[in-house]
Amino acid sequence: MFDDVGSVMTKVLKFGLWLILGISIIGSLVGYLMAGMSGVFGALAGGSAVLIFTGMTALSILIGSKLPLAGFVGAVLGGWLIKMVLFLIMFTLLDKASWLTLEARPIVFFTIVASVIGGLILDTRIVSKARFPVVTGKP
Amino acid sequence: MHLETVAAAAVGMTGSLGNVGYGLAAIGAGIGIGLVVSKTIESIARQPELASRLQVTMWIGIAFTEALALIALATPFIFGK
Repeated sequence: MFDDVGSVMTKVLKFGLWLILGISIIGSLVGYLMAGMSGVFGALAGGSAVLIFTGMTALSILIGSKLPLAGFVGAVLGGWLIKMVLFLIMFTLLDKASWLTLEARPIVFFTIVASVIGGLILDTRIVSKARFPVVTGKP
Repeated sequence: MHLETVAAAAVGMTGSLGNVGYGLAAIGAGIGIGLVVSKTIESIARQPELASRLQVTMWIGIAFTEALALIALATPFIFGK
């Protein structure tokens, strides 16, 4: 009947996975037409990068909501810090990858942008439809 | 420091401009997320019964703030090389 942090974040993770999978498939098709197999790999790499990036935030809040306030802050901000370092390493490796041709590079960028914008629309919709009780505790 | 000294140091600079871009992208998102989280802590301290709603609202704030950082991190794929 009513939602809590756990149910909202589970919904976000579930629908977000499907959305990014769909965008990655469309990106792969466009990538294949534009740059061959390199475009397909580029779209998949971009999609998985966004999935990890946005999924880690939702997961950190899901874990943090079960902890006391200090633990919650530590989980969210610590998760963000780890994520940024992981991303720096990931993008550096992707930037130097020999299989990513010059034609396939825009595919990575546009898959990331489309997944991020699509994910934000989905998140806003799920949160705006969620029903939270204002009063907690037993009646 | 004299301008000539700064100019001489800049001439000898090597490395990727992408690293500077990464740093700039992280600054904005870092400040933004810090603000969002600090205001949420304040609000939960004032009204603990709203913690669940505030945590989810905070998460939307974080998602929008970090979206810009993520797009900025991906820009070398279109503007680089």
